Amino acid sequence: MKANETEQQFLKLAKTVPTDERVPGGFAARMMARVREQHSLETGSADERFLRFARNLPANERVPYAFEKRIMARLRELLTPDPLTHWSRMLWRAVAPCLGVMLLAVLFSAGEPTDTSPIQTAGELESTDFETVMLASFDDLELTW
Amino acid sequence: MQATETAPETDVRTDEELVGLVVGGEVDCFEELIIRYQPRVFGMARKYFRNESDVEDVVQTIFTKTFQKLGSYRGTAPFEHWFMRLSVNTCYDALRRRRNRPEHTISDMLFEDENWQNRLGNIPSDDNPEGLEQARELVHTVLDQVSDRARIVLTLQELEGRSIREIAGITGWSESLVKVQAFRARKEMRTAVERFLMKEKRL
Repeated sequence: MKANETEQQFLKLAKTVPTDERVPGGFAARMMARVREQHSLETGSADERFLRFARNLPANERVPYAFEKRIMARLRELLTPDPLTHWSRMLWRAVAPCLGVMLLAVLFSAGEPTDTSPIQTAGELESTDFETVMLASFDDLELTW
Repeated sequence: MQATETAPETDVRTDEELVGLVVGGEVDCFEELIIRYQPRVFGMARKYFRNESDVEDVVQTIFTKTFQKLGSYRGTAPFEHWFMRLSVNTCYDALRRRRNRPEHTISDMLFEDENWQNRLGNIPSDDNPEGLEQARELVHTVLDQVSDRARIVLTLQELEGRSIREIAGITGWSESLVKVQAFRARKEMRTAVERFLMKEKRL
Protein backbone atom coordinates (compact mmCIF):
# COMPACT_ATOMS: atom_id res chain seq x y z
CA MET A 1 0.00 0.00 0.00
CA LYS A 2 2.76 2.37 1.03
CA ALA A 3 4.75 1.48 -2.12
CA ASN A 4 1.71 2.26 -4.22
CA GLU A 5 1.38 5.67 -2.60
CA THR A 6 5.08 6.38 -3.24
CA GLU A 7 4.57 5.37 -6.82
CA GLN A 8 1.59 7.67 -7.16
CA GLN A 9 3.51 10.55 -5.66
CA PHE A 10 6.44 9.94 -8.00
CA LEU A 11 4.21 9.87 -11.05
CA LYS A 12 2.48 13.06 -9.97
CA LEU A 13 5.86 14.76 -9.57
CA ALA A 14 7.08 13.43 -12.92
CA LYS A 15 4.07 14.84 -14.71
CA THR A 16 4.73 18.32 -13.37
CA VAL A 17 8.30 18.47 -14.72
CA PRO A 18 8.19 20.54 -17.94
CA THR A 19 9.42 18.88 -21.13
CA ASP A 20 12.84 20.07 -22.23
CA GLU A 21 12.41 20.78 -25.93
CA ARG A 22 15.76 22.42 -26.54
CA VAL A 23 17.37 21.51 -29.85
CA PRO A 24 21.15 21.62 -30.46
CA GLY A 25 22.17 24.27 -32.97
CA GLY A 26 22.19 23.19 -36.63
CA PHE A 27 20.58 19.85 -35.82
CA ALA A 28 17.92 20.08 -38.54
CA ALA A 29 20.53 20.94 -41.18
CA ARG A 30 22.73 18.02 -40.13
CA MET A 31 19.81 15.62 -40.14
CA MET A 32 18.68 16.75 -43.59
CA ALA A 33 22.19 16.35 -44.97
CA ARG A 34 22.25 12.76 -43.70
CA VAL A 35 18.74 12.09 -45.01
CA ARG A 36 19.64 13.42 -48.47
CA GLU A 37 22.85 11.43 -48.50
CA GLN A 38 21.01 8.27 -47.53
CA HIS A 39 18.33 8.95 -50.13
CA SER A 40 20.90 9.50 -52.86
CA LEU A 41 22.67 6.26 -51.91
CA GLU A 42 19.43 4.35 -52.24
CA THR A 43 18.31 5.91 -55.50
CA GLY A 44 20.01 6.88 -58.71
CA SER A 45 21.68 4.70 -61.32
CA ALA A 46 23.87 1.79 -60.31
CA ASP A 47 27.12 3.46 -61.31
CA GLU A 48 26.20 6.67 -59.49
CA ARG A 49 25.43 4.69 -56.39
CA PHE A 50 28.64 2.77 -56.75
CA LEU A 51 30.66 5.98 -57.07
CA ARG A 52 29.01 7.51 -54.04
CA PHE A 53 29.67 4.33 -52.12
CA ALA A 54 33.32 4.27 -53.20
CA ARG A 55 33.73 7.99 -52.54
CA ASN A 56 32.38 7.76 -49.02
CA LEU A 57 34.56 4.84 -48.00
CA PRO A 58 37.18 6.13 -45.59
CA ALA A 59 40.72 5.91 -46.92
CA ASN A 60 42.95 3.32 -45.31
CA GLU A 61 46.01 5.36 -44.39
CA ARG A 62 47.57 2.84 -42.03
CA VAL A 63 51.36 2.84 -42.28
CA PRO A 64 53.33 -0.35 -41.55
CA TYR A 65 55.48 -0.16 -38.45
CA ALA A 66 58.87 1.58 -38.92
CA PHE A 67 58.26 1.97 -42.65
CA GLU A 68 60.21 5.24 -42.81
CA LYS A 69 63.23 3.58 -41.15
CA ARG A 70 63.29 0.87 -43.79
CA ILE A 71 63.06 3.39 -46.60
CA MET A 72 65.88 5.47 -45.16
CA ALA A 73 68.05 2.35 -44.75
CA ARG A 74 67.45 1.46 -48.38
CA LEU A 75 68.23 5.00 -49.57
CA ARG A 76 71.48 5.04 -47.59
CA GLU A 77 72.42 1.76 -49.28
CA LEU A 78 71.86 3.39 -52.66
CA LEU A 79 74.15 6.26 -51.67
CA THR A 80 77.07 4.11 -50.50
CA PRO A 81 78.14 1.89 -53.42
CA ASP A 82 79.59 -1.54 -52.76
CA PRO A 83 83.42 -1.54 -53.53
CA LEU A 84 83.08 -4.78 -55.51
CA THR A 85 80.31 -3.31 -57.62
CA HIS A 86 82.36 -0.18 -58.19
CA TRP A 87 85.41 -2.21 -59.20
CA SER A 88 83.49 -4.45 -61.58
CA ARG A 89 81.83 -1.39 -63.09
CA MET A 90 85.26 0.16 -63.74
CA LEU A 91 86.49 -3.09 -65.31
CA TRP A 92 83.51 -3.20 -67.63
CA ARG A 93 84.17 0.39 -68.62
CA ALA A 94 87.78 -0.55 -69.47
CA VAL A 95 86.66 -3.29 -71.88
CA ALA A 96 85.85 -0.92 -74.76
CA PRO A 97 89.17 1.00 -74.69
CA CYS A 98 91.11 -2.27 -74.35
CA LEU A 99 89.35 -3.69 -77.39
CA GLY A 100 90.13 -0.49 -79.27
CA VAL A 101 93.83 -0.70 -78.41
CA MET A 102 93.88 -4.36 -79.39
CA LEU A 103 92.28 -3.55 -82.74
CA LEU A 104 94.78 -0.78 -83.39
CA ALA A 105 97.67 -3.11 -82.53
CA VAL A 106 96.35 -5.73 -84.97
CA LEU A 107 95.96 -3.17 -87.77
CA PHE A 108 99.39 -1.72 -87.10
CA SER A 109 101.09 -5.11 -87.12
CA ALA A 110 99.23 -6.11 -90.31
CA GLY A 111 100.61 -3.04 -92.12
CA GLU A 112 104.29 -3.74 -91.35
CA PRO A 113 106.73 -5.59 -93.79
CA THR A 114 106.76 -9.40 -93.30
CA ASP A 115 110.51 -10.07 -93.73
CA THR A 116 111.73 -10.60 -90.27
CA SER A 117 114.93 -12.54 -90.91
CA PRO A 118 117.94 -11.08 -89.11
CA ILE A 119 120.85 -9.53 -91.10
CA GLN A 120 123.69 -12.07 -91.13
CA THR A 121 127.46 -11.44 -91.24
CA ALA A 122 129.83 -13.23 -93.72
CA GLY A 123 131.08 -15.59 -90.99
CA GLU A 124 127.56 -16.52 -89.96
CA LEU A 125 126.63 -17.20 -93.60
CA GLU A 126 129.58 -19.63 -93.97
CA SER A 127 128.70 -21.57 -90.85
CA THR A 128 125.08 -21.79 -91.99
CA ASP A 129 126.15 -23.22 -95.35
CA PHE A 130 128.44 -25.75 -93.63
CA GLU A 131 125.61 -26.82 -91.35
CA THR A 132 123.27 -27.21 -94.27
CA VAL A 133 125.75 -29.38 -96.16
CA MET A 134 126.58 -31.59 -93.16
CA LEU A 135 122.96 -32.16 -92.26
CA ALA A 136 121.80 -32.76 -95.82
CA SER A 137 122.60 -36.49 -95.58
CA PHE A 138 120.57 -36.78 -92.40
CA ASP A 139 117.62 -35.10 -94.07
CA ASP A 140 117.75 -37.81 -96.75
CA LEU A 141 117.83 -40.50 -94.06
CA GLU A 142 114.62 -39.08 -92.60
CA LEU A 143 112.90 -39.33 -95.97
CA THR A 144 113.90 -42.99 -96.53
CA TRP A 145 113.15 -43.99 -92.92
CA MET B 1 41.73 27.22 -11.81
CA GLN B 2 45.16 27.12 -13.40
CA ALA B 3 45.54 27.97 -17.03
CA THR B 4 46.62 24.93 -19.01
CA GLU B 5 50.18 25.13 -20.22
CA THR B 6 50.59 24.81 -23.94
CA ALA B 7 53.69 23.26 -25.45
CA PRO B 8 55.92 25.80 -27.14
CA GLU B 9 55.56 25.85 -30.91
CA THR B 10 58.48 24.09 -32.55
CA ASP B 11 59.87 25.30 -35.84
CA VAL B 12 58.12 23.23 -38.47
CA ARG B 13 60.15 23.23 -41.65
CA THR B 14 58.30 23.56 -44.93
CA ASP B 15 58.52 20.88 -47.58
CA GLU B 16 60.63 23.15 -49.77
CA GLU B 17 63.09 23.79 -46.93
CA LEU B 18 63.44 20.07 -46.32
CA VAL B 19 64.00 19.44 -50.03
CA GLY B 20 66.71 22.07 -50.06
CA LEU B 21 68.44 20.45 -47.11
CA VAL B 22 68.29 16.97 -48.63
CA VAL B 23 69.63 18.20 -51.96
CA GLY B 24 72.35 20.03 -50.03
CA GLY B 25 73.49 16.74 -48.50
CA GLU B 26 71.49 16.39 -45.29
CA VAL B 27 69.94 13.10 -46.30
CA ASP B 28 68.40 12.46 -42.87
CA CYS B 29 65.95 15.29 -43.46
CA PHE B 30 64.24 13.12 -46.06
CA GLU B 31 62.84 11.00 -43.23
CA GLU B 32 60.69 13.92 -42.15
CA LEU B 33 59.22 14.15 -45.62
CA ILE B 34 58.46 10.43 -45.57
CA ILE B 35 56.71 10.70 -42.21
CA ARG B 36 54.71 13.66 -43.45
CA TYR B 37 53.44 12.04 -46.63
CA GLN B 38 53.38 8.30 -45.98
CA PRO B 39 49.79 8.08 -44.66
CA ARG B 40 48.47 9.86 -47.70
CA VAL B 41 50.57 7.84 -50.13
CA PHE B 42 49.49 4.57 -48.52
CA GLY B 43 45.87 5.70 -48.71
CA MET B 44 46.29 6.51 -52.38
CA ALA B 45 48.14 3.28 -53.23
CA ARG B 46 45.42 1.22 -51.54
CA LYS B 47 42.90 2.67 -53.97
CA TYR B 48 44.79 1.05 -56.83
CA PHE B 49 46.14 -2.16 -55.31
CA ARG B 50 44.37 -4.55 -53.00
CA ASN B 51 47.36 -6.75 -52.14
CA GLU B 52 49.22 -5.25 -49.18
CA SER B 53 52.66 -6.32 -50.44
CA ASP B 54 51.93 -4.60 -53.79
CA VAL B 55 50.92 -1.49 -51.88
CA GLU B 56 54.11 -1.47 -49.86
CA ASP B 57 56.24 -2.12 -52.96
CA VAL B 58 54.74 0.75 -54.87
CA VAL B 59 54.98 3.16 -51.93
CA GLN B 60 58.63 2.20 -51.50
CA THR B 61 59.19 2.85 -55.21
CA ILE B 62 57.48 6.22 -54.92
CA PHE B 63 59.73 7.40 -52.10
CA THR B 64 62.87 5.99 -53.72
CA LYS B 65 62.07 7.75 -57.00
CA THR B 66 61.28 10.96 -55.13
CA PHE B 67 64.66 10.85 -53.42
CA GLN B 68 66.49 10.15 -56.68
CA LYS B 69 64.68 12.92 -58.57
CA LEU B 70 64.69 15.51 -55.82
CA GLY B 71 67.42 17.40 -57.60
CA SER B 72 65.05 18.01 -60.51
CA TYR B 73 62.45 19.79 -58.34
CA ARG B 74 62.64 23.41 -59.40
CA GLY B 75 60.20 24.92 -56.92
CA THR B 76 57.93 26.41 -59.61
CA ALA B 77 54.96 24.54 -58.08
CA PRO B 78 54.41 23.44 -54.48
CA PHE B 79 56.35 20.31 -53.56
CA GLU B 80 53.10 18.56 -52.73
CA HIS B 81 51.90 18.87 -56.35
CA TRP B 82 55.20 17.65 -57.75
CA PHE B 83 55.25 14.74 -55.32
CA MET B 84 51.63 13.69 -55.92
CA ARG B 85 52.24 13.83 -59.66
CA LEU B 86 55.21 11.50 -59.30
CA SER B 87 53.16 9.24 -57.00
CA VAL B 88 50.20 8.93 -59.36
CA ASN B 89 52.46 8.26 -62.34
CA THR B 90 54.33 5.60 -60.40
CA CYS B 91 51.03 3.93 -59.51
CA TYR B 92 49.98 4.09 -63.14
CA ASP B 93 53.27 2.49 -64.25
CA ALA B 94 52.83 -0.24 -61.65
CA LEU B 95 49.26 -0.89 -62.81
CA ARG B 96 50.46 -1.27 -66.39
CA ARG B 97 53.22 -3.68 -65.38
CA ARG B 98 50.73 -6.08 -63.87
CA ARG B 99 50.45 -8.93 -66.36
CA ASN B 100 47.61 -10.97 -65.03
CA ARG B 101 44.61 -8.74 -64.74
CA PRO B 102 42.14 -8.73 -63.23
CA GLU B 103 43.28 -10.40 -60.02
CA HIS B 104 39.76 -11.18 -59.02
CA THR B 105 36.85 -11.61 -61.35
CA ILE B 106 33.33 -10.62 -60.52
CA SER B 107 32.45 -14.31 -60.14
CA ASP B 108 34.97 -14.49 -57.26
CA MET B 109 32.91 -12.06 -55.24
CA LEU B 110 31.01 -14.59 -53.20
CA PHE B 111 29.54 -13.23 -50.04
CA GLU B 112 27.38 -15.37 -47.87
CA ASP B 113 24.43 -13.15 -47.31
CA GLU B 114 24.59 -10.16 -49.48
CA ASN B 115 22.37 -8.32 -51.74
CA TRP B 116 24.90 -5.74 -52.73
CA GLN B 117 22.29 -3.50 -54.28
CA ASN B 118 21.23 -2.72 -50.75
CA ARG B 119 24.79 -2.74 -49.46
CA LEU B 120 25.68 0.12 -51.82
CA GLY B 121 23.41 2.29 -49.70
CA ASN B 122 25.23 1.58 -46.44
CA ILE B 123 28.81 2.50 -45.70
CA PRO B 124 30.15 0.33 -42.86
CA SER B 125 31.17 2.33 -39.83
CA ASP B 126 34.73 2.61 -38.53
CA ASP B 127 34.02 0.15 -35.74
CA ASN B 128 33.23 -2.53 -38.32
CA PRO B 129 36.66 -3.22 -39.87
CA GLU B 130 35.48 -6.43 -41.50
CA GLY B 131 32.60 -4.61 -43.20
CA LEU B 132 34.97 -1.87 -44.37
CA GLU B 133 37.36 -4.45 -45.77
CA GLN B 134 34.54 -6.14 -47.68
CA ALA B 135 33.39 -2.79 -49.00
CA ARG B 136 36.91 -2.02 -50.23
CA GLU B 137 37.11 -5.46 -51.86
CA LEU B 138 33.88 -4.70 -53.70
CA VAL B 139 35.25 -1.42 -55.01
CA HIS B 140 38.53 -3.07 -56.06
CA THR B 141 36.74 -5.88 -57.84
CA VAL B 142 34.66 -3.46 -59.90
CA LEU B 143 37.56 -1.10 -60.66
CA ASP B 144 39.82 -4.02 -61.61
CA GLN B 145 37.53 -4.52 -64.60
CA VAL B 146 38.37 -1.13 -66.13
CA SER B 147 41.52 -0.18 -68.03
CA ASP B 148 44.50 1.36 -66.19
CA ARG B 149 43.98 4.85 -67.59
CA ALA B 150 40.28 4.70 -66.82
CA ARG B 151 41.04 3.65 -63.29
CA ILE B 152 43.47 6.54 -62.75
CA VAL B 153 40.96 9.07 -64.11
CA LEU B 154 38.04 7.59 -62.18
CA THR B 155 39.96 7.59 -58.94
CA LEU B 156 41.24 11.13 -59.35
CA GLN B 157 38.03 12.63 -60.70
CA GLU B 158 35.21 10.72 -59.08
CA LEU B 159 36.72 9.49 -55.85
CA GLU B 160 39.07 12.37 -55.04
CA GLY B 161 36.97 15.10 -56.68
CA ARG B 162 39.76 16.62 -58.77
CA SER B 163 39.07 18.82 -61.78
CA ILE B 164 40.06 18.00 -65.37
CA ARG B 165 42.79 20.62 -65.17
CA GLU B 166 44.20 19.16 -61.96
CA ILE B 167 44.17 15.66 -63.44
CA ALA B 168 45.95 16.93 -66.55
CA GLY B 169 48.56 18.59 -64.32
CA ILE B 170 49.07 15.44 -62.28
CA THR B 171 49.22 12.92 -65.11
CA GLY B 172 50.93 15.10 -67.70
CA TRP B 173 48.14 14.35 -70.20
CA SER B 174 46.42 17.08 -72.16
CA GLU B 175 43.05 18.30 -70.89
CA SER B 176 41.30 17.00 -74.00
CA LEU B 177 42.81 13.56 -73.44
CA VAL B 178 41.67 13.62 -69.82
CA LYS B 179 38.12 14.49 -70.91
CA VAL B 180 38.07 11.64 -73.41
CA GLN B 181 39.48 9.26 -70.79
CA ALA B 182 36.92 10.45 -68.24
CA PHE B 183 34.07 9.72 -70.64
CA ARG B 184 35.45 6.26 -71.47
CA ALA B 185 36.14 5.58 -67.81
CA ARG B 186 32.52 6.20 -66.81
CA LYS B 187 31.34 3.95 -69.61
CA GLU B 188 33.71 1.14 -68.61
CA MET B 189 32.77 1.49 -64.98
CA ARG B 190 29.05 1.44 -65.81
CA THR B 191 29.52 -1.82 -67.70
CA ALA B 192 31.52 -3.30 -64.83
CA VAL B 193 28.92 -2.32 -62.22
CA GLU B 194 26.02 -3.62 -64.31
CA ARG B 195 27.81 -6.91 -64.86
CA PHE B 196 28.41 -7.18 -61.16
CA LEU B 197 24.82 -6.48 -60.23
CA MET B 198 23.50 -8.85 -62.91
CA LYS B 199 25.70 -11.57 -61.45
CA GLU B 200 24.18 -10.71 -58.08
CA LYS B 201 20.65 -11.19 -59.41
CA ARG B 202 21.51 -14.61 -60.84
CA LEU B 203 22.81 -15.89 -57.50
